Amino acid sequence: MKLQHALGGLEGLETTPVNFEKRVFVEDWEKRIFGIHAAMMGLSDSLRDAGYDMDAAGAAVNTTWTWADLRKGAEAMNPFDYFRLRYYEKWLGGITSYFLQHGYVTEEELAAATATYAETPTAELPVRPSDSIDDQVIRYLRQGDTPHRGPGEPRFAAGDAVTVGNPPHSDHTRLPGYLRGRSGVIERVWSGSYAYFCSTGPDGLGEQPVPVYVVRFEPAEVWGAAAELNAGPIYVELYETYLNPPTTTEDVA
Amino acid sequence: MSTQFAFPSDREEQSAAKVRALESLLIEKGVITHTTVDKVLGYFESEMTPLNGQKIVARAWVDPDFAALLATDAPAAVAQLDLPNGMAGAEGEHLAAVLNEPGVHNLVICTLCSCFPWPVLGLPPYWYKDPVFRARAAREPRAVLTELGVPLDDDTEVRVWDSSGHSRWFVVPERPAGTEGWTEEQLAALVTTESMIGVALADAPAPV
Repeated sequence: MKLQHALGGLEGLETTPVNFEKRVFVEDWEKRIFGIHAAMMGLSDSLRDAGYDMDAAGAAVNTTWTWADLRKGAEAMNPFDYFRLRYYEKWLGGITSYFLQHGYVTEEELAAATATYAETPTAELPVRPSDSIDDQVIRYLRQGDTPHRGPGEPRFAAGDAVTVGNPPHSDHTRLPGYLRGRSGVIERVWSGSYAYFCSTGPDGLGEQPVPVYVVRFEPAEVWGAAAELNAGPIYVELYETYLNPPTTTEDVA
Repeated sequence: MSTQFAFPSDREEQSAAKVRALESLLIEKGVITHTTVDKVLGYFESEMTPLNGQKIVARAWVDPDFAALLATDAPAAVAQLDLPNGMAGAEGEHLAAVLNEPGVHNLVICTLCSCFPWPVLGLPPYWYKDPVFRARAAREPRAVLTELGVPLDDDTEVRVWDSSGHSRWFVVPERPAGTEGWTEEQLAALVTTESMIGVALADAPAPV
C-alpha cells in the first residue's frame, strides 16, 4: 500500500500550511523537463493506435510513454522523497529512469554529459533538425489522444447507490485510497466507454474500455468523525471497474 | 537532527545539468530535435494559457444558454468560441466544468496526481501540485479555502471534485457584483487561474 495512493484526506497535516506558490515553474530548468515529457507523449509508440503516422514523424522512439508511466514513477517513490522533492524534481527522476531502463541512454553517457553541463552550464545543445519530429509533437498537443472507445454498456445509472471495491494494492491505480469500501451515489454517467493507458494488474483497470461515472460521496461516509464542520459532498470520477452494487449493513453483518 | 529532508547545496545546479544532459543526449539519438522543447514551451506560452479559460468564463457570465451547455457538455460549449486550435487536444480531450452559484462553491483537486485542463488554464501552478494541498483539500476544504483567503458563509456548500478519471475539470466562478453591462473583455480580466480551480473568487471590480 502506497502513501501516494492514499494522499487525499491524510491526517496530521492540518497545521501544515499550503504552499500557495502560483508560478508554474520556479526554476528555468523545470521548463526543459516539462518539455521533454510533453514531447515524449507526442512521440509515444502508443499513438499509432490513435491513428498518428509515427513512421512519418521518424523519431527514434519505439516505446510507449504516457501519463501512466510518469505516474508509476511518482507512485514508486519513497514516500518521504515524495514529500521532500519538488514536483519537477520528481519528473526529472522518473523520466530519466525511463530513458535508462529502455536503453535510450546509458548511465555512462548521462554521467559524462551531466559533468559537461555542470562545468559549463551555458554549453550549447547539439543541433539536429527534423521538422517531422517537431510537427508530430505539436500535432499531438493540438489533437490529443482521447481514451474514448465507442459505446459503453453502463452497469449503473444516475441515482444508483454503489460501493467502491477494495482491489489488491498495485504499483499503479486510479482509485483514490480514501474511497475503498465507501458507498456513494452515481451523479453522472459519461457516454461511451473509456480505455486507460495500461493495465494496472490486480487493481483491475485498463484491460478493456469501461464506462466512467461521477460518483457523489457524503463526507461522513468517507471521513467519519474526521470530516470537517459543515462539510459538503465530494465528487470523484471513477472507472466502472472500481464500483460494485451497494453493500448494505445487513450484508456486512 | 533528522537529515530526512536535507538537500545538497548545489541542488538546482545539479538538476539543471542533469536535464540539459538528458535533452542533449535525446537530441543526439534522434528522439527529439534541438528545437522540440522550445516549440512545446512556445505552444503553452502563446496559445494554451488561462486567457482561454477567462474567455470561457466571461461568455458563461453573459450568456445563460452557453453556461447551461458548459455544465452539461463543456467540449461542445468550448468549441463554439473563437479559441486557439487545440482546445480538445492534449489534456483537453474531455473538458468538464462546474459552476459556482449562490450558496455553492466548487473546488477541483487531483489527489492521485496533477490532472489539469491544459487548454483552458495552461499548465498547473505549484500550489495545485503540492501534496499538502492535495491531502488537506480533500477532507478539510473549508479550512484550506479559509487559509487561502476565500470568504465562505457557513451555509455555503463546498463541493470538491477529485480528478481521477478522464475528465479535466475547471470551475466557473460567480460573476462579481457591480459588473452589470460590462463587456466580455472587461469581465475576462477579473478571472484568475485560482478562481477557475476554486481557491479564489473572481476579482472584484476596482473601485472608481
